[in-house]
Amino acid sequence: MSEAAPVRRRFNPDTTIEDLKAYMAPFVDRLGYKFNTDEEFVDEVLTSELELLESTGDVFCPCRVRTGDPKEDAKIVCPCIPFFRDQFAGLNKCWCGLFILNEVEDGTELLGVIDEPTGPVDVPVFKVADLPDGQIRHVKVGRHDIAVARVADEFFALSNVCRHAFAPLAEGFMDGYQVMCPWHGWRYDVRDGTTDHPGSDVKTYPVSVVDGEIRVRVTIR
Amino acid sequence: MSVMLYGLSTCPYCRMTRKYLEDNDVEFDILEVDLLEGDERAEAIAKVKELSNGTSFPVVVVDDEVIVGFNKKRIKELLSL
Repeated sequence: MSEAAPVRRRFNPDTTIEDLKAYMAPFVDRLGYKFNTDEEFVDEVLTSELELLESTGDVFCPCRVRTGDPKEDAKIVCPCIPFFRDQFAGLNKCWCGLFILNEVEDGTELLGVIDEPTGPVDVPVFKVADLPDGQIRHVKVGRHDIAVARVADEFFALSNVCRHAFAPLAEGFMDGYQVMCPWHGWRYDVRDGTTDHPGSDVKTYPVSVVDGEIRVRVTIR
Repeated sequence: MSVMLYGLSTCPYCRMTRKYLEDNDVEFDILEVDLLEGDERAEAIAKVKELSNGTSFPVVVVDDEVIVGFNKKRIKELLSL
């Protein structure tokens, strides 16, 4: 028996650039991104990824290094957007520029432009269509654990962590504008994070909807 | 003035940075971290983490200043190009 591979091998030896594009495009769209409009650059990056697929078994980001720690390395498999949502939204692109925010018209202008974003950033988290009325979903944005809730056509974002016993509020139950914590039923108003228990309100985040995408504002320090 | 480029052989921006330095006749050392193996690789990754607080490339070090990413403007400033 040969040694077990640390990471399950993905795709086939004969996977092409077109296959990767077809596989990734609908996924990154749900995250608020599209392929860079600079097709030559896209092909260059994907060619590197296919080389990495061949040598390592997965399509790692060509601009980040594998450390050998499987948990850390899982965060740099392309597309790595979910692990760097705040930074990338601030840059208007992913680190290597393979993907750009859906709203960006000319991705060529962004190539190589790296000014570390700071301050408030509106981060796309879900498509409106991915969050039905009366539902609440968790999203991790940088260091923030956020629960995003929908009531009719209004959207709200609050800390995902119940102040009572640290339960994940996004696993709770919506009741009008309130979410009931899944563990002990504490109630939080999703509009302002207030609770029926003194001194236990949670933080809320400004939300906007642009072109069918829900965006949550966080501050990058 | 010492200029060090930590890069990856797979990374387009590392290639762009290298070309930019070469085109401007800058003398620099280069380490392609992904081509290293074993302890050398681990040491280089640890160094890059220490310098840049991450594992994203390229990392350019001009004396004590660290530039993460192909930031032409910053390289230009620091090297007075």
